[in-house]
Amino acid sequence: MRRYEVFLKKDGRDEFRHAGSLDAPDDELALVLARESYARRAEGDRLWLVDRENVILGDLEFIAPNSDKPHRHNDGRAIAEHRRNTREGGA
Amino acid sequence: MTGLGSSVREFLLAFADDEHLMGQQHTEWIGVAPFLEEDLAFSSIAQDELGHAAALYAIVAGDGDPVDNDLRIDELAFRPSPDDWRCAQLVEVASDDWAHALVRHWLYDSAEQLRWEQVAQSSLIPLAEAAARAEREERYHRRHADGLLDVLLPAADSAERLQAALADLLPLAIGIFDPVAGEAEVVATGVASAPFDTRLDEWKDRVRHRFDFDPDRIEPMAPTGRLVRHPDFGPLLVRMREVIDLDPAAVW
Repeated sequence: MRRYEVFLKKDGRDEFRHAGSLDAPDDELALVLARESYARRAEGDRLWLVDRENVILGDLEFIAPNSDKPHRHNDGRAIAEHRRNTREGGA
Repeated sequence: MTGLGSSVREFLLAFADDEHLMGQQHTEWIGVAPFLEEDLAFSSIAQDELGHAAALYAIVAGDGDPVDNDLRIDELAFRPSPDDWRCAQLVEVASDDWAHALVRHWLYDSAEQLRWEQVAQSSLIPLAEAAARAEREERYHRRHADGLLDVLLPAADSAERLQAALADLLPLAIGIFDPVAGEAEVVATGVASAPFDTRLDEWKDRVRHRFDFDPDRIEPMAPTGRLVRHPDFGPLLVRMREVIDLDPAAVW
């Protein structure tokens, strides 16, 4: 059995979204079974199946270190305050 | 359309009964199919077949003008007397083996495709419309059955079980082509394009190609005009009527 990741999309709406995964012996059966497992109530009309072997993984140790850099989260508040001060100082 | 006439009525009932019982037989695998995804897929296929049956019963119940959500459909679909049914024995026989169920699914759906083709240009417009809708669903059924057989037939263990099921089912499967009395009139009025058994050789070729087995090596059951029920039919009908028999006068 191979493990496949299932992505669904509705035409003209939204992007492809991960819907789940399933096991199947080959690509054809994966498609056949994914349709009724994930789109039986018309949850999507386009489907991507990705063999998990083909997924390029970014692991925790490599990806996570950026979580301690709050200065990269600019919510605009500091800039707004700076501009307000400049405006008021200039009036 | 004013009135179907008894030949067309019998013809439609035979088709509807086959679809109904095929759907019913498939539903017996709900919850016990070999794995979850297959359970969902096979249940969907069962539902489709029941839908085809309902569409055909609706045409009969309305005498050519389909009724919608009407108790007359249930009255037809759950006829109490086995003698009044017109199904083929392929869909009456009980199956408690997955290989058996899968082979029957393939045999039935490969014939069903040809059967809908016979009425795709029907002079009975609601029947032609039902054929168009059914074919959209049947494409999935065939891909499902073929997808599984593609994987299972090359493996020795499963191939052995599938071939045994095939030998068991083929004599009954050929009975799908067994016409009801009056089929000639159905063809003469343009309800069907030709007698269904004109497609039998084509279907046998499909079987040959799929299973690498010559269906002519099997002695088919004698044609009965769909008037003789398989011994498994009685108990099946009792199960199907279990709820309706609790209170036949109940309104749903």
